[in-house]
Amino acid sequence: MESLKTRKITSVWIVIVLALFIVAIILGILMRLNQGTIIQQSPVTFYGNMTTHGLTMIGIWFVAGMAAVNYLMERYVKTSYGVNLFALICTIIGVLMLWSSTFIGHFHAGWTFLYPLPFKVAWAQWATPVFLSSLVVLGVGWLVWSVSLMSQILKKYTLSQAFAWQHFKKNPAVETPPFILITMVTLVGVIACLLAAVLLLVLLFAEYFSNGSFVNDAAAKNLTYFFGHTIANEMLYLGLAVIYELFAEVSGRPKWKTTWYVAVAWNLSLAFILTAFFHHLYMDFVQPEGLQIVGQLASYLASLPAAGVTVFSILVAVYRTKINWSLTNLLFFIGVAGWVIGGLGAVIDATISNNFVLHNTLWVPAHFHTYNAMGNVLFSLGFFHWFAHKFDVGFYIDKNAMLKLTLILFGGIGFLLAFYIGGADSIPRRYSNYPPEFTMAAPLATVAAVFATFYLLAILLFFLNITKNV
Amino acid sequence: MYKNNVFYFLVIVIIGWNTSVYSQQDNIAWKEESHVYTKVLDAPLKGYGLGDSTSLLQLAHQNPTILALIFTRCTGICNPFLLQLSEKLEWEIEHKNFNIVVISFDPRDTEADMSALAKRFHLDQEKQWIFGVTDSIESLNKSIDFNPIRDETRQQYDHEALLVGINSDGYITKKLIGMRSTSDLALLVGSIYNSFTPTHQLPNKNRLFSCFNYDPKTGKNTPGLGLLFIALPAILTIFILFTSNYLGKSERIG
Repeated sequence: MESLKTRKITSVWIVIVLALFIVAIILGILMRLNQGTIIQQSPVTFYGNMTTHGLTMIGIWFVAGMAAVNYLMERYVKTSYGVNLFALICTIIGVLMLWSSTFIGHFHAGWTFLYPLPFKVAWAQWATPVFLSSLVVLGVGWLVWSVSLMSQILKKYTLSQAFAWQHFKKNPAVETPPFILITMVTLVGVIACLLAAVLLLVLLFAEYFSNGSFVNDAAAKNLTYFFGHTIANEMLYLGLAVIYELFAEVSGRPKWKTTWYVAVAWNLSLAFILTAFFHHLYMDFVQPEGLQIVGQLASYLASLPAAGVTVFSILVAVYRTKINWSLTNLLFFIGVAGWVIGGLGAVIDATISNNFVLHNTLWVPAHFHTYNAMGNVLFSLGFFHWFAHKFDVGFYIDKNAMLKLTLILFGGIGFLLAFYIGGADSIPRRYSNYPPEFTMAAPLATVAAVFATFYLLAILLFFLNITKNV
Repeated sequence: MYKNNVFYFLVIVIIGWNTSVYSQQDNIAWKEESHVYTKVLDAPLKGYGLGDSTSLLQLAHQNPTILALIFTRCTGICNPFLLQLSEKLEWEIEHKNFNIVVISFDPRDTEADMSALAKRFHLDQEKQWIFGVTDSIESLNKSIDFNPIRDETRQQYDHEALLVGINSDGYITKKLIGMRSTSDLALLVGSIYNSFTPTHQLPNKNRLFSCFNYDPKTGKNTPGLGLLFIALPAILTIFILFTSNYLGKSERIG
């Protein structure tokens, strides 16, 4: 079982994630209010907030998944408290450096910091190296954490057992828990994409300090999306690992087991998810057409095994079955729905013929906000809620459960609809102020800000409730 | 051990050779990509066919503009360059309303010299052709990265035959160096109307880490050093995975 130290550090992770989430949501609302011309931000402030919002969100929901996985992994293998603490310290330092570069240094090249934007200095001179250094600190902390967790798994399971290859045949001698399989598959992807980030940062630093110009734009973009796209997807898989471990348990049902199709699906996901990022490069015609086709195929195939098997497993678990519904498994259930809907939006955009129309429109934030705000966030909130109350003495009843769920659903769906309608109307994304030609852009942004405020209220309630208990 | 050393040596030689080949290519004066998408200097103009306009940007604001740089005492490329330009742009001029501004970069040239040049090429009656001089030639040259070198012995300039496309917002959209084909000139004209033209990157400093290198002669892409960077994270991950498995083996057995 998990140690007291692991429990404490998981509590710290949860408090930090929720606190940063609230700040990041407020930044998002301010951005939409500015686009709606309700408030006036300078473009520097808007893009600074956009950079902070994007990177903070990616970071916190990645570490939220990692903290949850680390905590639950103690059920199977011993994990390193020291590495967990190291990752926590790196995250705190990294976030402080990142926020300094954006809030004080006004760095505003976007969370993808696409080359050569970081070097087109339109902010304090020091902000570029501090921004890049913050990513190094975060990347090193998370990489060490990921490698450590993977190593711990391999101290108990062989390589083939960790990937559940023995389940390809009938009646395997050793059973690999689905949690271990999914975590292993995810950690391999996480390590690969963090290494891509390290390589990218090495190139950028080399160019920055040598005043050279040898970084190739397309190579840098490939590495950026190898890192960015992959980590955004892998952090969802961390959430899914938690669901596979906890959904049946909190629902009062027998624990899920690894079957041949679960093993095959997750092994295939590992391959597909690492090549799906090519769909970010459809407009880069200088690359061979074959890569674009790989990008489309991998995008389709990546979504099928993991999503198909997970949705099937969840539906089978709840269909005509007596379930002990609680806020935790409701969040998991709704989160899977949000993940699938967002995933469908992503596949629509990743289809080359559609991408000609939807590329860089509000459809893009629409789909990734769906599988994050209404998917991954709910996975982690489900875990946070379970974690906060598992040590309660006696039977716990959350009086505000329905209010929180209603606010999340009402606020989340309204906020996302504004994005989808905007995307379908070809309204471009990443505009601080919309030209008058986009007549629907400002009203939609205002509506989105109002709905997002309801979502924020729900998160505040979660924050108060969870932090009181952890 | 011996085989390993040979292998490492070969890897270093191959990388070193690639680097030196690309470095040599860097020295070739491929400068068509420099200063593209930057604003051109609003140089004051004097000369023939200017109408009400008094500066380069004023001309560009009226109609997208192609800028050609020559000098009237040129014994080299200037005359064939202008002649070829007038012939090859004939069809484009008939169908599109853009300016071709011919400016002398030799401070000795006067408005009268340029007017005489226009007449010599029978372009003096063509309203889209403008011949002129500017007092700010050095700054203009700088803004388009054009660097003619004066040879006092020959009383001539060493210079490129440069064409610069400028859109109506005053931004450089494309540059062409040398005597170019009709299709290249059509791309230049397209660019000043802000129409998107897919082009492949020319050999330059950034090419060292390209994922693919485009060969304009064959039209084919070949894998580049940058592709190794894309594959490296996966290779390193597999290495870490197997190393962790190897290290974990002793604990599993124990």
